[in-house]
Amino acid sequence: MKAVTGVNKLTKKTSSINITPWLFIGPHLLIFLIFFLVPIGFGIYISFTEWDLISQPDFVGLANYKEILFNHDSIFYEQFQTGLKNTFLFVLFAVPFCILVPLFLATALHAKPKFWKIFQSLFYMPSLFAISAVVIIWKLMFDVTYGPINHLFQLNTLWLRNQPYAWVSLVIVTVWWTIGGNMVIYQAALNGIPKDYYEAADIDGASGMQKFLKITLPSMKSQILYTVVLTTISQFNVYGQPLMLTGGGPTNSTRVLLMNIQQNAFGSGQSIAGIASAMAIILGVCIMAVASLQFFFLRDKK
Amino acid sequence: MKKMSRLLLILGTLGLVVSLFAGCGNSTKKTGAGGSKNEITFWNPFTGPDGKNMQAMIDAYNKTNPEYKIKNVSLKETDMYTKIPTVVNSKKNIPDVTIVHAERLKQYKDNHMLTAYDDYLSDYPKMTGENYVTEAWNIGNIENKRYSIPLDIHTFGLYYNKDLVEKYLPNALDDQIVTFDEIKEVGEKAQKENIASLGVSWVKPNYLSLYAQNGGELSKDGTTPTLDNAAGKKTYKLWNNYVKEGYTTKDGEDATQLFLTGKVVFLPEGIWMQNQIKQSKINWGLTNAPQLSADLSQAVNWSSSHQFVLFNSKERNKAKTKGVIDFIDWVRDHSMEWAKSGQNPASLSILENEEYKKMPQAIFLLDPEEQKTLKIFDYKYNGYVSEYLEAHGVDTIFGTESIDDSLVNMQKEVTDKIAKDKTNNE
Repeated sequence: MKAVTGVNKLTKKTSSINITPWLFIGPHLLIFLIFFLVPIGFGIYISFTEWDLISQPDFVGLANYKEILFNHDSIFYEQFQTGLKNTFLFVLFAVPFCILVPLFLATALHAKPKFWKIFQSLFYMPSLFAISAVVIIWKLMFDVTYGPINHLFQLNTLWLRNQPYAWVSLVIVTVWWTIGGNMVIYQAALNGIPKDYYEAADIDGASGMQKFLKITLPSMKSQILYTVVLTTISQFNVYGQPLMLTGGGPTNSTRVLLMNIQQNAFGSGQSIAGIASAMAIILGVCIMAVASLQFFFLRDKK
Repeated sequence: MKKMSRLLLILGTLGLVVSLFAGCGNSTKKTGAGGSKNEITFWNPFTGPDGKNMQAMIDAYNKTNPEYKIKNVSLKETDMYTKIPTVVNSKKNIPDVTIVHAERLKQYKDNHMLTAYDDYLSDYPKMTGENYVTEAWNIGNIENKRYSIPLDIHTFGLYYNKDLVEKYLPNALDDQIVTFDEIKEVGEKAQKENIASLGVSWVKPNYLSLYAQNGGELSKDGTTPTLDNAAGKKTYKLWNNYVKEGYTTKDGEDATQLFLTGKVVFLPEGIWMQNQIKQSKINWGLTNAPQLSADLSQAVNWSSSHQFVLFNSKERNKAKTKGVIDFIDWVRDHSMEWAKSGQNPASLSILENEEYKKMPQAIFLLDPEEQKTLKIFDYKYNGYVSEYLEAHGVDTIFGTESIDDSLVNMQKEVTDKIAKDKTNNE
């Protein structure tokens, strides 16, 4: 404490700006500026232009947004509609499981069953894999002829080429891949709940379910809010799973918006970066809107 | 003491910031030019097993002690194509020579990104059309200027299971052409034993090859797409029919895996897949892609080609450019290593190599008539067509999407995307 005030005094003598806090946030601020703020600003600018990544961008005002949002005859309108719809569907299907499954596993591990440490590492491991590795593993699992899943359950299901199985497969893969992150947060939260609460509940004769609903869940509220919002944001950015697992099929039903954005900007043809940027900006706005809504409804109402 | 800690803090922060920038600096050096003066930076998309063959070629060349040594920079294909416009735009660290796919040449040329070779070629008497496969060579000639020199021509052919062919239709390969009628004949017998006659593999080359055989063109004037037509319908209808009759692998099945385990008689695939096919136990051969007619002069084999190009760069002076062409000229005479990766070198000098002549993919080059069947689809907007076929082709072949819808939408999507290209309005 003394040292800090000392430093403050020192700075006051030499200049009127207090440099210490800047030094602390400096490195992060710099990275934030270079890798986040500048690209976003540039992205917004590009969305108001027509650009092929090569020549100079031509400023076209809101034309890209108009085309995407209102021009029913345009392929980009269609791309945006189906892409956004599929992205929302995916978020709707995937997020609940991405919360509930890790929560369930964290609670189970919290009871410290035999070998729980091994299980904990096993559950956490998939999050360390790259998505391409994850997809290769699961593509083999879902294979119609040689896949262990069809073999085990004696099925003949075309997992990746039929609905609703394509969605089911995508959700399974996503949950499997992302269990680790949320699970660790829940485990930490569970460890932080004082044991006295449970002892008191035991004396009052509460059942296991009651304890979970009345003590465990409310005590983890802020962690759950945090994970719900972050999981939603990250699932909105779904890309690798449908790209490599279903290729956006069958008949475009799992083609998510980011696939269209990527293809327009960096596809095998000439780049259509303006349209792609505008789509990305609208997607960003959607994500912000959904996240704010979640904050609003899940916040601590005090 | 207080001063000391503050100093340390500042130094630490500075160090962090500096190391950050140093990190950036390093990464550009890895991919960019401007390193040593006598070094040629060579970008290519060979990150797979073929990357090793390329590295071996470069090592062999560097051992000849050329004035300019080659620095190999293999980038993941998608990353390389993303980086190219950025780097060329920035006018810094532009690679001295780059390998790109033939289909992209027109796009780059129309965007004024390429430097032509014409001023230098007079010094290289052997770098002429007669020493290369015509289709691969001609693609680099745009509006009477030479913008690229071919490394190879890679073809989408047909792998067949020799034992199964022997069983179902022993004379099918007498003429080295498997027609769709023959596939049908095999299919009728094979399906009773739960074996597919034809594997449904990569749709794009399959579709484009048959589409061309049906007389279809991607564009008549080079710009406006002509995709929704009778040829397209005929192409998809044939596939639809074969699926319905049970001659093909089923939706969702992995045709290559099934071929490798002897459950598929014919598998259309690229010659570059050879090294994977080789590892299986089946007794296989490689021939022309499936054809409508048994007449070789009408055959079409979808092909693409890796081409050496020079992206505009002020850092590449005359001497260096010569260094680049020296390398390409050396490759022309030393492409056996490249053939080992399964590819067909574009340089015809390979035909004098006995080892090459025994390679399965040599079928496409040995006979000059065969060379004429190789077709590169160089429509300027081929990329947009590919994207559509990748997204909708499988659905259309298996009938989950109607042929009419698929073709109408392909025409629409490609047209709408082209409308965004400014290079047409110049």
